[in-house]
Amino acid sequence: MKMVDNLIRTSMQEYEEYLRDESRLAGTAQSISFPKDENEILEILAALSQDKIPITVQGARTGIAGGAAPESGHILNLNKMDQILGLRYDENLKTFLLKVQTGVLLSEIREALLKKTFAVSNWSQKSLDALELLKNSRTYFFSPDPTETSASIGGMVACNASGARSFKYGSTRKHIEALRIILVDGDTIFVRRGEHKTQGRSFIVKTESGRTIEGNVPKYMMPNVKNASGYYVEDDMDLVDVFIGCEGTLGIITEIDLRLLPHPKYIYCLTTFFTSEDKALKYIRAVREKEEKPASIEYFNHKALNLLREQKKSKPAFSDILDMPDHFHTAVYVEYHGDLEEAVTNMILEASKAIVACGGREEDTWLALNTQTMQQLHAFRHAVPESVNLLIDERRKTEPNLTKLGTDMAVPDEQLEEIIDLYNTCLQKEGLDSVTFGHIGNNHVHVNILPRNQDDYAKGKSLYTKWASEVIKMGGTVSAEHGIGKMKKTLLKEMLGEEGINEMKALKALFDVDFRLNPGNLF
Amino acid sequence: MNIIVCVKQVPDTTEVKMNPETNTIIREGVESVVNPFDAFAIEEGLKIKDVYGGKVTALSMGIPDAVQMLKEILALGVDDAVLLSDRKFAGADSLATAYALSLGVKKINDFDLIICGKQATDGDTAQVGPSLAEKLGISHCTYVSHIEEIGSDYIRVKKLVDDGYEIIELSLPAVITVEKGINRPRIPSIKHFKNALEKEVLIWTTADVAADSQLIGLSGSPTQVVRTFIPQYNKEIQILEGTPDQQAKDLMEKLAAENFLGCE
Ligand SMILES: Cc1cc2nc3c(=O)[nH]c(=O)nc-3n(C[C@H](O)[C@H](O)[C@H](O)COP(=O)(O)OP(=O)(O)OC[C@H]3O[C@@H](n4cnc5c(N)ncnc54)[C@H](O)[C@@H]3O)c2cc1C
Ligand SMILES: Cc1cc2nc3c(=O)[nH]c(=O)nc-3n(C[C@H](O)[C@H](O)[C@H](O)COP(=O)(O)OP(=O)(O)OC[C@H]3O[C@@H](n4cnc5c(N)ncnc54)[C@H](O)[C@@H]3O)c2cc1C
Repeated sequence: MKMVDNLIRTSMQEYEEYLRDESRLAGTAQSISFPKDENEILEILAALSQDKIPITVQGARTGIAGGAAPESGHILNLNKMDQILGLRYDENLKTFLLKVQTGVLLSEIREALLKKTFAVSNWSQKSLDALELLKNSRTYFFSPDPTETSASIGGMVACNASGARSFKYGSTRKHIEALRIILVDGDTIFVRRGEHKTQGRSFIVKTESGRTIEGNVPKYMMPNVKNASGYYVEDDMDLVDVFIGCEGTLGIITEIDLRLLPHPKYIYCLTTFFTSEDKALKYIRAVREKEEKPASIEYFNHKALNLLREQKKSKPAFSDILDMPDHFHTAVYVEYHGDLEEAVTNMILEASKAIVACGGREEDTWLALNTQTMQQLHAFRHAVPESVNLLIDERRKTEPNLTKLGTDMAVPDEQLEEIIDLYNTCLQKEGLDSVTFGHIGNNHVHVNILPRNQDDYAKGKSLYTKWASEVIKMGGTVSAEHGIGKMKKTLLKEMLGEEGINEMKALKALFDVDFRLNPGNLF
Repeated sequence: MNIIVCVKQVPDTTEVKMNPETNTIIREGVESVVNPFDAFAIEEGLKIKDVYGGKVTALSMGIPDAVQMLKEILALGVDDAVLLSDRKFAGADSLATAYALSLGVKKINDFDLIICGKQATDGDTAQVGPSLAEKLGISHCTYVSHIEEIGSDYIRVKKLVDDGYEIIELSLPAVITVEKGINRPRIPSIKHFKNALEKEVLIWTTADVAADSQLIGLSGSPTQVVRTFIPQYNKEIQILEGTPDQQAKDLMEKLAAENFLGCE
């Protein structure tokens, strides 16, 4: 008991920042803990179980859907579970697998892999041998990149995070081999891809204490788009996939086996400016249908470019952005990866043909052949959301309650032009200020509505709901990468229906009978 | 207007680490980049060409690896690229480097202006530009922050000095070395990238430029590196207390005691 008293802290006024995440949604909690290992988690769970106290799991709190903001009860913050535990080479997968604790940050994983340097004092001989092999091999990397590198790996798994390069490499899900999960009752399960599967939609899983958990995953069909809304399901699926993207509602992820990829030897990046949106959209279709897929396809509409032009004039921080002549209307960024210079050069030449065929000009391009220029193009990309935040901060000086309204919806490939047209028409009709940018390769753009006053804000909110309904009708998703959290629950219900939500709840009840874990998330 | 831009390949400075035992730069695993000052030199050359026409040639002395860097420079719209590369050039100090470059310039032959970076971020001496001008017997100006005017046989430039700037006119041909920030370097376009694919980087050996073996590489380098080290500064911070008047008085006394005020 003494031990637990040290672990669970109740002086919440000292921990006020932990009541929020990056969504700025703030909640309340009565206690918080920072366990360092599984044993400490078990002690904490045992103490909390007496009064059936609800628990909110936290990673690095960079989530933007409110998933890590508590409603009440206890905050289980996993930042201190920050060890990289080991490495192995898998002969079947022909790659390295890195075993990490949940709280390790994406930036730490990246740095360690780039330098091939790890804190190895607790590593097994097998891991050390694998490290020797890694050191003598080319560079390997973990591809998911939700731009915010201070995210924890557990948070990324819980949200199935993705980023620009997910167009080629897929979301976090594709790079997870196995998970160790502590259930709210203190039992533990381990699920490995290929080993633990459902039969149709039914499954049986054994816990470490020998108990079997048996039941069904929901029956709904997943939209055929990039998606981070609700439990992932399909027939004969890997159980590990149910836990990836469950937003912490099924169990507490403690250890994760990550699949690494060989880092491409050549990365060429290309920003192309078109004189109209139509031409840009044609080009997007052309490049994504080529045999050699780009690693990413990103989009900036003319309002995004105009905002950058404005910021460049007035803010020294943006003065390094290169001049964009007036005829630069819409921009598309693509990135090509490969191991042979000739192959990547050919990809650029193919893209070049598409540019000309779609009415663009080879002169109106920025091509990065080395890391420095690539960083310049990436800085250009980051400057768009940064500018949006600056603009909103300025407007909040006179209208403190304003926030931006950012969408995260995706539609199937066929509906690309239709969805862009819908966004444009509605925004124009309502006379709203906005910028649109993002992962257009997956028909997944972020429309950022920039309200000037409360009236705009109300109009923006109702547009948001209207778009969600239209996107659902098109067979799309209400959240493609940020997750549902506590902020998009009504949209999820609209997407999956009452029955879908009930099936999700039934699955949750198998792992968390009293609904104590992450209350308020998803439903 | 034909322009030669001298370009050096250097280790990426955001990554530079020193070996604490030998006090030399650790080059393993560090990416090589265009000397950042030289990126401004290239852009200045291209800007002049955009207005006056003519040709821009990039000239570098370095290891065969530098071909990759020069190919990327061609994709910026530079017309030709030459690499002086030969084991016999290795170990050059700034004098031998300037000599080798001067041979390259003479072989290129047709030029009105040579643009160098202000300095290289690794060697850092800022001597190569002026030495090159001396070897060629032409005028030069360092620390150029703006080109004011170009005439048929002169160039007028703004040169940064400690407490302002000077406007200097040089007769052409001449060498100038440019400051960071003189312009904003462009990014390659597909158009120039495609043109560059058609081009070869010329590689010239010591024989190709008929170099005097006594003046190149180690034997042509009178600089003896006795020791390199990271300078140590013995800084001491004192915080004065008391009323503002008292603090001002204490400060004056302390400065006087250390002879900072030029009087006893
Ligand atoms: C500027 C910015 C840009 C972003 N861009 C992107 C983007 O492009 N793509 C994208 O996908 N995301 C993006 N995000 C969102 C965010 O970075 C990701 O969602 C990230 O995965 C969250 O990780 P975290 O460690 O901060 O998790 P938290 O915010 O702490 O938690 C997120 C959710 O995961 C749960 N959770 C965390 N750890 C565990 C665990 N061990 N077990 C069970 N549940 C757990 C939490 O309960 C919560 O529901 C962005 C965020 C910011 C601030
Ligand atoms: C103390 C010391 C010890 C050194 N020891 C060695 C050694 O043992 N072996 C060795 O190989 N080198 C050595 N060097 C490096 C070598 O002397 C210099 O790198 C070289 O002479 C150029 O001088 P810099 O780097 O100071 O160039 P700077 O004079 O600072 O360069 C100014 C400009 O000249 C041009 N330029 C300079 N170098 C080249 C080039 N190679 N090709 C094309 N243009 C160029 C560029 O436009 C550049 O911006 C040493 C340097 C120093 C300072």
